[in-house]
Amino acid sequence: MTIDQTKTWTKPKGAQTTTKVVARPTRDFEVQSYLPAVAKGLAQTMSAFFKNTKEMILGQKKDPVLESLSWGITTISYPEEKRPYTDRFRGLHRLTIRDDGSPRCVACLCCSTVCPAQCIHIEAGEYAEGDPRRGYERYPKKFVIDELRCVFCGFCVEACPCDAIRMDTGLHAVPYDSREQFIYGKDLLMGFTGRDGSRLTANPRHEPGDETHPGLDREQAH
Amino acid sequence: MNQTGTSFGWVEVVLAIVKILIIIGFCLNFSAIAVWADRRQSAMIQHRVGPNRAVVNLPSFIVQGILVAPGILLGALAALGLGQAHTPQAAIDRMGVSLQLIVLVGWFNLVVLSWRIHRKGALNAFEQAVGSNLPRAYFYAGLAAHVVVGLLTMGLSRRVADGQMSADGAYLAARIASVVLGGLLGASGVYAALRIPKGTVGIRLAGTLHGIADALKMMFKEDFIPKNADRLLHALGPMIAMFPALVVMAVTPFGDQLCFQDVNHNGAFEFSELLRVKGAMARDAVCEGHSVPLQIVDLNVGILYIFAISSTGVIGAAIAGWASDNKFSLLGGLRAASQMVSYEVAMGLSLMGLFLIYSSLRFNPMVQWQNDYAWGIFIQPLAFFMFLAASMAETKRVPFDQPEGESEIVAGYFVEYSGFKFGMFMAGEYVEVLTSSALIVTLFFGGYTLPFLFADGIDVTIGSTQLFAYKMNHLAVTVIQILTFFGKTLLMSWVVIFFRWTLPRFRYDQLMKFGWTKLLPLAILNLAVTAVGVVAIDAAGPGLHATLKLLGQLSHLLVAIGILLMPIGIVWLFLRPVESTRFLKSSSARFANAAGGVKPTPMQA
Repeated sequence: MTIDQTKTWTKPKGAQTTTKVVARPTRDFEVQSYLPAVAKGLAQTMSAFFKNTKEMILGQKKDPVLESLSWGITTISYPEEKRPYTDRFRGLHRLTIRDDGSPRCVACLCCSTVCPAQCIHIEAGEYAEGDPRRGYERYPKKFVIDELRCVFCGFCVEACPCDAIRMDTGLHAVPYDSREQFIYGKDLLMGFTGRDGSRLTANPRHEPGDETHPGLDREQAH
Repeated sequence: MNQTGTSFGWVEVVLAIVKILIIIGFCLNFSAIAVWADRRQSAMIQHRVGPNRAVVNLPSFIVQGILVAPGILLGALAALGLGQAHTPQAAIDRMGVSLQLIVLVGWFNLVVLSWRIHRKGALNAFEQAVGSNLPRAYFYAGLAAHVVVGLLTMGLSRRVADGQMSADGAYLAARIASVVLGGLLGASGVYAALRIPKGTVGIRLAGTLHGIADALKMMFKEDFIPKNADRLLHALGPMIAMFPALVVMAVTPFGDQLCFQDVNHNGAFEFSELLRVKGAMARDAVCEGHSVPLQIVDLNVGILYIFAISSTGVIGAAIAGWASDNKFSLLGGLRAASQMVSYEVAMGLSLMGLFLIYSSLRFNPMVQWQNDYAWGIFIQPLAFFMFLAASMAETKRVPFDQPEGESEIVAGYFVEYSGFKFGMFMAGEYVEVLTSSALIVTLFFGGYTLPFLFADGIDVTIGSTQLFAYKMNHLAVTVIQILTFFGKTLLMSWVVIFFRWTLPRFRYDQLMKFGWTKLLPLAILNLAVTAVGVVAIDAAGPGLHATLKLLGQLSHLLVAIGILLMPIGIVWLFLRPVESTRFLKSSSARFANAAGGVKPTPMQA
């Protein structure tokens, strides 16, 4: 491809320079005497002050998001006042449970593998001899999330094949005293509920042996 | 002058200490509040809330006590104090005062209650009835009631003067009105207490507790001293910066004088006589008992003392800049010193015209002159603006705060200060704001006087026609004077603080150029014109004098009307409906709208 030399971003040699005449700022008496401008500025700030003070005292303060384009006080008195979070807000993680109270997690390590912050640590365990799930799936002996390292990207939720980890608690990380307190273990994560107050999920779990179980399991082949 | 001559008394010593405590208490407390108000105002201008989070949690019975006690105390005071009168005329006067106070307390309570009901909902049928009207309806009804009550009182007063109304009737009316007022005050306190919910109640006082929180924080923070700093000078700097700011107030009068009766006729001032304040004073009368000037010391050099002391304040900044072993501090200290030297000249010269007119350097005669003729701002408006600019430069306030210009030299001379030493610089700056405001008020805004308020009461006389007259006793006039002085000072310092959030900082060369090439020649010109004017007016005949006196009275009238309209304007502003337009531009705004916007929620997690 050849470069068209006539269309350069810099001025070609010998081309005529064009100028744009910009008007000088007015230096008339009103500007130069300074005091009228001071009076105008004071009127501006004072009106804003009185208006905001009044709306603050009388509780007519505007909602900062709804009134984002108009003037007025835009501070929320957190934590007494809170802004509602959207349904898709990613809060602290929780581990969902099955109907029998055990975690849905099968310790496949998908979440800890995809985690960009490497904040999930899982130790997988085998079910005891004779358990119908033994050899079919595993369970997490340890499931630890370092909530300080977590970047709340939500990849773990997307990676999970069992809908076992969710970020729908609507909670923030709490300001604890020490770093150890931010390392959440399995029991704590299983204790959190979703915003609907349930520790289950809406997606049903089809255990091997259930009528609804769709595919192969150890006892029967379709 | 004290009639007792040279006898030394402990009473004078105690009174002097009390006066010093009043001034120092005023300066320190209000400097702390001014620091808070400064931050709060800046936030309000920028549509933020500012410091309002400091809270004291009190059990509800203490809060209820705080609400009930003043109501009952004031009510008892009103019922006992306003009911007694010696003449039927005085009884009608007191009835009028009681009725006006009843109307005031009534509409104020209804406005507050209606507003609370509109925000939080009604608790019972009575509140539902109150809440059916908007707060501003109660305010306008109250204004109308004030006028009606005023007309009624005037009518009754005329009937008593004509003898159409019996003296017993007048006494009874005064007593009934005072008892109703007392009952209303007590009942409103009790009702407010009943509305307090059980449990602990967080008291914020609109955020003013932040001043206390800040002071406590400063006390407990580390007192950092740089390694190579001069430790002695580093410690001395903030003290030298704060001391002159405090002692400047020593000569500004916060009232005329308090005259006590000489009960035992021996000329010595005794403690038992402290309760015997003179009943009534004639205008321009010399106190024949013991006179207590409401001023810590009445120096004959007056304002020269202020010039001398206030300019030593810069030594603190300069020493701090030098002792901190920091180039930025040194630059800040140097800037402070050179700025102070430059503006001291213009500051002194801008006031020379006033001295020619007042023909005194002492403050009391200046204030009396303004009360007799016109406020300083009306006779020397140019001097007012020049003095305002110069005193803002002296106190290192915006737009003249180059010594602490953050954008260039971090924080100037107090870069290396922390903890309470920094707090002293901070408090010193705001004490300077208060003292310079007190000075401006005394020189240009009539000091402790109000228009038409004289030692014997209110007397509105324009030319030779008397429009209104009302006799007041000595103590009432003195209390009004003291409140006036402190109120005016606070208002002025509020205005000075307001400049900070409006005006951008000058460049340093602009500052110097403004001081030397604009302010100084203008001050000299002002002085020359004033000198010629004073000589010309002195040489002119009595006709011009009468005209000028009339003009002065008209200026007083203007100010008086302004003072009367101001509270109405403020209440009107606060009760105006809010005009609100909703924008639902973004998806988050639409979501928040569907979810109810900002909502108070219990703390989670």
